[in-house]
Amino acid sequence: MSGVIDVSVRDPSRLTLAQRLYLPEIFSGMRVTIRHFLRNLFALRNLPTILYPEQRRDYSGRFRGKHILKTREDGTLKCVACYMCQQACPAECITIVAGEHPKIAYEKYPVVFDIDMLRCVFCGFCVDACPKDAIWMTGDYELAFFNRQEAVFGIDKLVERPGEKVKDGYGYRPYYPGDGTVPPTDASAAPVIPGDGEREKLREECLLPVYRPSAPGIGT
Amino acid sequence: MTVAEVASLSPAAEKIRSQLSATPLSDRVEVRDLDLPTLEVSPADWPALARHLRDAPESRFDLFLDLGGVDNLKRPGAGTRFEAVVHLLALSRGEHLRVKVLLPDADQPALPSVADVWPAADWFEREAYDLFGFDFPGHPNLRRLLCHDAFVGHALRKDYAPGQRWFFSEADMRMPAWALEPEERGHFETQTLSVGPSHPATHGIIHLVARLDADKIIRAETQIGYLHRCFEKMAETHTWNQVIPFADRLNYVSAMINGVGYVKTVEKMLGVEVPERGVLVRTILSEFSRIMDHCVCIGANLVDIGALTNFWYLYQPREGIYGLLEACCGARLTVSYVRVGGLAIDVPEDFVARCRGLLESIPKFLDDVDRLVTNNRIVRHRLQGTGVVSKEQAIAWGMTGPMLRASGVPYDVRRARPYDFYDRFDWDVPVAQDGDNLARYLVRMEEMRQSLSIIRQALEIFPEKGPVNSSDWHVVLPPKDAVYHDMESLIYHFKLIMEGIRVPAGERYDWIEAANGELGFYAIATGAGGPYRLKVRPPCFPNMAAFEKIIIGGTVSDAVATLGTLNIIAGELDR
Repeated sequence: MSGVIDVSVRDPSRLTLAQRLYLPEIFSGMRVTIRHFLRNLFALRNLPTILYPEQRRDYSGRFRGKHILKTREDGTLKCVACYMCQQACPAECITIVAGEHPKIAYEKYPVVFDIDMLRCVFCGFCVDACPKDAIWMTGDYELAFFNRQEAVFGIDKLVERPGEKVKDGYGYRPYYPGDGTVPPTDASAAPVIPGDGEREKLREECLLPVYRPSAPGIGT
Repeated sequence: MTVAEVASLSPAAEKIRSQLSATPLSDRVEVRDLDLPTLEVSPADWPALARHLRDAPESRFDLFLDLGGVDNLKRPGAGTRFEAVVHLLALSRGEHLRVKVLLPDADQPALPSVADVWPAADWFEREAYDLFGFDFPGHPNLRRLLCHDAFVGHALRKDYAPGQRWFFSEADMRMPAWALEPEERGHFETQTLSVGPSHPATHGIIHLVARLDADKIIRAETQIGYLHRCFEKMAETHTWNQVIPFADRLNYVSAMINGVGYVKTVEKMLGVEVPERGVLVRTILSEFSRIMDHCVCIGANLVDIGALTNFWYLYQPREGIYGLLEACCGARLTVSYVRVGGLAIDVPEDFVARCRGLLESIPKFLDDVDRLVTNNRIVRHRLQGTGVVSKEQAIAWGMTGPMLRASGVPYDVRRARPYDFYDRFDWDVPVAQDGDNLARYLVRMEEMRQSLSIIRQALEIFPEKGPVNSSDWHVVLPPKDAVYHDMESLIYHFKLIMEGIRVPAGERYDWIEAANGELGFYAIATGAGGPYRLKVRPPCFPNMAAFEKIIIGGTVSDAVATLGTLNIIAGELDR
């Protein structure tokens, strides 16, 4: 704690001679602006402005941009359609329709997972809400559309295809105590399925959607 | 009231009760002891009580902070359906008081206007008229404020369904009646000038209608509400944590401070303690946000009066601070960084180093602006003696923050009721005596330097490691690796996401020092996952209400300079 300081101008009605003459103040002001001018002229690298889009700003690994739906190693979505992100979303921009796997009774997956990018406020609550590490955000902030339908991103636009480069890199992701970035290794492991190799067999039979780099939509 | 109840009153409430006992109001005013001393009064006794509270030498509640309605339709155990809740401040003692005016008539709720007691009540009463349909007999200009004139119904009543739409056409647009009739002043005719709603000098969408005698403004009226989205209604339909992104959009120039103010209210209702490291992160980023807010205010103000260069010098610190915020939470403007009970995520490893880097670079820019502006004769002529608000006016108009301090009142919440660790830091409250635009500029410049000093001291006691979140899993989401592997944690996680935090039933008004004054949140909980009612006390609202009075007698160009120093943020003004 400390006191109160009075910052008012002592004698407000009177300017000093130098201030009244005006020119000395002009020159002292010019000194500031010319210093900035010269510095900007000879040290272009330190310019505070950037030449977007040729030059791009470096954002941190926590940037909250376009979402991405994480996939398991075999290309199926990690999402189990639990509706928690939809519930947590303050902008009500997520729409999920859950599908039940015809053979593996306890396996649920999203048939529809839409995010309306025009409603989204990019708060990251969906990432915080996900219990399966299935939704992250990326550094992609270049979202422009010609109509509203285009702005509703379905699974095909949101899914991460294994092996394909993520545009602008990963952004905001769940919080892990520690360095705050790396998920525990087994978090992404596939759930245990009865029998060795049975899951793969069932998947082949029942066609759980698998996302691959080349396939634009739901493929097998 | 029984003896036992009297005995249980806190000293503050007891003091007010004993003061009232000497007046004829004593048996008609109920004194209750909630988070603040609370008086309950009927509409008929309200003006007399108001006068007593303002004038009696031992009470002197001279600053009218806030008036908001409450609709008790769906609140169990409440008496009357409507009540008007007023918050007052006694500047000399820094004490807050709540008055509830209980409105017995549910069909036509009405209470007498107190705009003649506290001029600040004017716009707050219009707001309650608009959003709740309260009638205020005796109000000088009772019409809608935030909603447009074609709006049907009262949005904050519990029986008003959210999501309804009312279409507004140009034919519905209402100009003040006086503005439509020409007025003769002797031989000459006056002129009516409409500035805005969309005008480069209005910084946000604000409509100013001014009557001019040559270049002098002789009458003015402002219309706001163009950015109104009924934040308070949205809060009622969401959970406690979901309100945080909305709170960011109140004063979006210093979004961090709004979030901190909001979650502090909820944390107090819950009785949750945030670890020291979490509190210090909030303090540091809040003070940086304050600097940013002042940079924008001064920079934009100087652009309006023609000193463009300073805008760039002041926006560079802001850019650095945005970078820091983005590194912490992933967004520059609408940060959504705080959560009830802590923060969304711990700060990055280089947090302290980045803060120290900013502490190095920011003063240079402030010095440059100082050199360019403070003693410049043109700036002096534009700012000195214009937009003058005297000390008495500033208090009567309900101003807080730099506006009040520039008029010579050293009231700062961080000093009057130190929250977090503000009492541990050594800093000064800058005040100025003149109350003009120059005084407000000087106060803001000094406040930025004081904020830098606070941040420097906060970094010194900043613990290198430690939790930023409370460990109460009824409030804070459990760590992710626990959620993935531990059933118990997953259940906590699920309950928090699907149902929200269970805040115990009750009410609370809590306030902090935002960049442009006292930011208060009045929250009512009924034990559900979201707020029953959330009222914001927006600091720039009283400033804007006074604008049409400050500019009388000045020129239009002075009005533009004055609007800049009021620091109006439309997101917070219109909510």
